Amino acid sequence: MIDPTVVPVAVAFNPFDVLDVPAREWITLLVDWIVAVFRDFFRAYISPPVRAVMEAVHWAFSSIPPLLFLALVFALAWWAASWRVALFSVIALAVVGFMDVWSPFITTLSLVTTAVVFSMLIGLPIGILCSRSDTLYTLIRPVLDIMQTTPPFVYLVPAVMLFGIGNVPGLIATIIFAMPPVIRLTNLGIRQVSEDLVEAGIAFGSTPRQMLWKIQVPLALPTIMAGINQTIMLSLSMVVIAAIIGAGGLGLEVYAGLERLNIGQAFVGGIGIVLLAMVLDRITQGLGEHAPGRRKSK
Amino acid sequence: MIRVENVTKVFGANPQSVLPLLEQGKTKTEIQSETGHVVGVKDASFKVEAGQVFAIMGLSGSGKSTLIRCLNRLVEPTSGKIFFEDPEKGELDVTAMNVEDLRMLRRHQMSMVFQHFALFPHRTVLSNTVYGLEIQGRDKQEREEIGLKMLGMVGLGEWAEAYPSELSGGMQQRVGLARGLATEAKLLLMDEPFSALDPLIRVQMQDELKKIQAELERTILFITHDLDEAMFIGNKIAIMEAGEIIQIGTPEEILVNPRTEYVARFVEQADPTGVITAGTIAIPFRGTAFEQVREAGELKYLARQAYPEIEYGLDRDGRLREVVSAERSLTVEPLESVLEGRSHTSHERRRDDTLLTCTNRTVLRKLLQGRTYSTLPIVVTDEDGCAEGIVDEMELIGAILEKRGVSEEEAEAGIEAPRGRSSTA
Repeated sequence: MIDPTVVPVAVAFNPFDVLDVPAREWITLLVDWIVAVFRDFFRAYISPPVRAVMEAVHWAFSSIPPLLFLALVFALAWWAASWRVALFSVIALAVVGFMDVWSPFITTLSLVTTAVVFSMLIGLPIGILCSRSDTLYTLIRPVLDIMQTTPPFVYLVPAVMLFGIGNVPGLIATIIFAMPPVIRLTNLGIRQVSEDLVEAGIAFGSTPRQMLWKIQVPLALPTIMAGINQTIMLSLSMVVIAAIIGAGGLGLEVYAGLERLNIGQAFVGGIGIVLLAMVLDRITQGLGEHAPGRRKSK
Repeated sequence: MIRVENVTKVFGANPQSVLPLLEQGKTKTEIQSETGHVVGVKDASFKVEAGQVFAIMGLSGSGKSTLIRCLNRLVEPTSGKIFFEDPEKGELDVTAMNVEDLRMLRRHQMSMVFQHFALFPHRTVLSNTVYGLEIQGRDKQEREEIGLKMLGMVGLGEWAEAYPSELSGGMQQRVGLARGLATEAKLLLMDEPFSALDPLIRVQMQDELKKIQAELERTILFITHDLDEAMFIGNKIAIMEAGEIIQIGTPEEILVNPRTEYVARFVEQADPTGVITAGTIAIPFRGTAFEQVREAGELKYLARQAYPEIEYGLDRDGRLREVVSAERSLTVEPLESVLEGRSHTSHERRRDDTLLTCTNRTVLRKLLQGRTYSTLPIVVTDEDGCAEGIVDEMELIGAILEKRGVSEEEAEAGIEAPRGRSSTA
């Protein structure tokens, strides 16, 4: 039985008064320390390659005349998916062009492409390593969880502190935010390859490398492609947010429109983003379904 | 070709700790409840000669799949030794090999066919077939040549560019077989290759495997849970129960002389007509069932006490020279020549003036077919043509119903027990 005289005391007692953890101060100190120590290193070794790739991609995309660009998209979408997707893609991009946001569209596409290229360059090898070591995956999983659940805005502050403002810090925040699906689904795809097939590979004397490239990666390809598809979608959403710290493109249209209460400008930017997202999604999904031996034809 | 000595496999956290318990004679169940370890294979020893088809028969959970995987170390044996006779390098200790040697052994000497085919779905039929050659590093033209030859052999030459998902189960396993044969490995490990197939397709595949084996003369280790399949395909059979090999012998030895109650239960269901041979069931002339009724010149005439009307005239070497029934001489013809081109559902009256002869390796099915031609007993001869004994209706019926040879007393009375003669081990 509860002693009635004790209850009020217990209720009145607030355990949170006893200890006050100065988390804000600690994190500020930590970020300050990281910035002080690594800022020069990051700016010297991380910014240049990211900037170089982004500028090259942007140069390539913007030097293609719009009509040729539409034709190329049509061909790519037909090859990767179907003529329906090809037709849809061309119409969607034509709408973007007629709304007079072609140039920001090209900028956003370049940012997304760059972010995805780096996410894959880093994410695919990490995913492959994770599929071979349970220990590594156990260590990396919480990091991936943090990367994905942290609100995108929170990345922007340290990104600005380390890299300043502009496209590059926006891209780096995007890469960190968008990479986890590639790692997760590469790992998952390889682990899902049927044990029977792996056993057959071993029984015929495959080396671990032959096993990876001749059996595991080809069979994991649809899953890996699903990861890349997610990464593209995430980087598109992040690239828009990155407009706050000075990244250009369609995100900037939205951001600028909101700041000036120009609803029309914001919506045009928003529609452009949605159309771009749909086109990229359909094309990459089509790629994933085209793995050999899984054709629906019979 | 391969020699397995006292191989034991225990699954669990600390397999070595269980070995002394096994030596004390504890059973699989006791060990499992006491230590949580599962004994997969217990003290298995056998030898497979080059060119032989060695079948391992057992129910699921008897450890047969674990045992076959110990041979190429897909499963690491807990104790025991495995020796492989390499045609060039002599005898190799598989259990002592390092990773690289083991990989070379798997690439060049041992290949495998799997129960659920394990074809690579992203590769075409041809590309699946040549996987082993690709791993060996052969150039593309050479491996495709070999691959197409193998596909032709299994009857899938037309399907080289198809994907496995487009094939039926039977066709998929043909690809599995072609892939196993393509590496030119001397030893082919087949883990229940036909178990997942429809009965009709299974029988067809068994026939084809026999044909291919006759042509290629590989050494095959064949796992199955079907005794009829084991007896049809195997030159020798090992029967497994609860991780142990409980009997090894030729199909006929096992059928006629099951060593344990467990084996006997299986044998009961088996079809003896393709396994039991004339030599095993014949009533021997030298046994007590026959006595000499008269002598004429070179020939001694023998007759059965129960059926004195037929007299068998043997010369000094034991060759059958004359058969006399009711004072007239009967025609003697070899069984093989009579069966040629004859349908055993013929409506002609059965002959009572022709006596058939056959060798002691003739199987029961052939004897039965012979009896549709003639009503008289069949005389069984050895390889040299000397008469061993006769097979009459009762022996045929006994062989089908009891799967036994002549009764124990008769066998002991015979100077050479027919059962001993039938074994070629």
